[in-house]
Amino acid sequence: MTYRTIVGGCGLAALMALTACDKAPAPPETQYGANPLLPQPRQYLLPPMEVPLAVGWQQGETPGVLPGLQIHALASGFAHPRMVYALPNGDVLVVESNGPPTQAYRPKDYIAPVVKNRAGAAAKGGNRITLLRDAGGDGKAGLRTTFIDKLNSPFGIVLVGDTLYVADTDAILQFHYNPGQTHIAEPGVRLTELPAGPIDHHWTKSLTVSPDSSKLYVGVGSNSNITENGIAAEEGRAAIYEVDRATGAKRLYASGTRNPTGLAFEPHTHQLWSIVNERDEIGPNLVPDYLTSVKQGAFYGWPYSYWGKHIDVRVQPQRPDLVATAIAPDYALSSHVAPLGLMFSAGAGLLPDLADGAFVSEHGSWDRSPLNGYKVVFVPFANGRPSGPPRDVVTGFLAPGNKTVRGRPVGLALDRTGALLIADDVGNVVWRVTPSPR
Amino acid sequence: MPQTLSARAPRLIHPPIVAASAALLIGTLVTDVCYVRTLLFQWNNFSIWLITGGLLLAAAAGLGLICDLLFHRGGPISPARFALVAVAALLSLVNAFVHSRDAYTAVMPQGIALSALVALILLVVVWLGCNITPVREHTKGDRS
Repeated sequence: MTYRTIVGGCGLAALMALTACDKAPAPPETQYGANPLLPQPRQYLLPPMEVPLAVGWQQGETPGVLPGLQIHALASGFAHPRMVYALPNGDVLVVESNGPPTQAYRPKDYIAPVVKNRAGAAAKGGNRITLLRDAGGDGKAGLRTTFIDKLNSPFGIVLVGDTLYVADTDAILQFHYNPGQTHIAEPGVRLTELPAGPIDHHWTKSLTVSPDSSKLYVGVGSNSNITENGIAAEEGRAAIYEVDRATGAKRLYASGTRNPTGLAFEPHTHQLWSIVNERDEIGPNLVPDYLTSVKQGAFYGWPYSYWGKHIDVRVQPQRPDLVATAIAPDYALSSHVAPLGLMFSAGAGLLPDLADGAFVSEHGSWDRSPLNGYKVVFVPFANGRPSGPPRDVVTGFLAPGNKTVRGRPVGLALDRTGALLIADDVGNVVWRVTPSPR
Repeated sequence: MPQTLSARAPRLIHPPIVAASAALLIGTLVTDVCYVRTLLFQWNNFSIWLITGGLLLAAAAGLGLICDLLFHRGGPISPARFALVAVAALLSLVNAFVHSRDAYTAVMPQGIALSALVALILLVVVWLGCNITPVREHTKGDRS
């Protein structure tokens, strides 16, 4: 045990002791769907926190899955895998990445790395994309190559025809891709710039393509929790952009989305949906993270308000003109679950119950006690809209007792066979969920 | 015989450190007022760093005071000054947590109120003198 760990541990213990006297918040079930129960915001000396220790998976341990499903590791030993993407030929791309280096602006910025280290969130990202090929068809990655190297905190990825788009933290890059290719050596062409440093607080840039393949959509996170780095740092942030594939021209599509970490089109209605990570430090049940259809030109509140027109007094001066236009999202996932992966189901490939709806991976955060998230859920849809509470599909990322964490789910994909792929950035594994053999 | 300034004149360690700490903590009120008037986030960053610096110096002053007592440089503690300084330090510790909130509520309303209270207390301390113990009177035969 290093000196740093000891100091960090003692500090955390002291912090936790100070917050321990709070009574338990209402359970997450009260915050599912269109009308989540929203308590009054509070201001804390120490916001509720709980930091499980990252321990990884022991030999033979796997996450748990719904009856009728099975799970195994497609491959492991990655450098902070954040996103998975299934290519049409069956190859799987794994984006290994973490945020760019940060600088401390305030004393609390010296605490954050201690928390991140403990929770396994500070591991260095590979800044690369690895290709996996299940050549033998046995569910194991027989071939593994470095597909694209020397990227800059990549996250979103999408293939359109023979062009592969990768969203680095500062730009969308495009690469020419030939089916079957296992390595791309040519550097990417910068299609369009994206807001990045020098602060780059929420660094991930999510990416998807319109059903007619003409436009890309990119999610850009805010540059702070709640404007503590100044409103000027939020220029162009907390928004979803539409990017023209042919020209790279970019226009604001929706705004006020604090951290839109996953974008996907609902397959029946061709409507764009996003998962969004909401703000911290005003209570264990504020503010619910959400899944929403993205209405063109809509404003979703951040930073001035949340869940429609609930004012966040931490943001001054306020903008009543903007708050008046703020709309509430469609579907709350409950608070501090940190949704980082969104994938619509493509039929009954896994289970009949999972035929219509969205898989959402909840990375989990340390900004709530008790912990929430740390699982992959399924939000059932009917007629292109959510039709019920989320259902746990993959669990067990937190070890029993919630004191240690074995993995944290991030990116999701469905491979050619309909199997669900999950990037796990603490276990450094890509999991593959398939139907159990009958 | 008129006394000259000499190496023998007894010196206390803690008073200048108390004064330096007080300067930073009183300065916090100024940067807080600037924040409330301008709403520019950087003034809050100045405030939290001033509080942090003030608290580190306050800890150093505490160590200095312990040394002064251990080495018999200081006389008996003045309870009023000690209480004022201790209360200012504790309030500043709370204020550091308040100022670590994000954006407006880091300063308004509790932050600036605590800063004002601490500034008031420390102005009284500075007025009274930053030595928490008097210099120990040297009696005949005392060699230290």
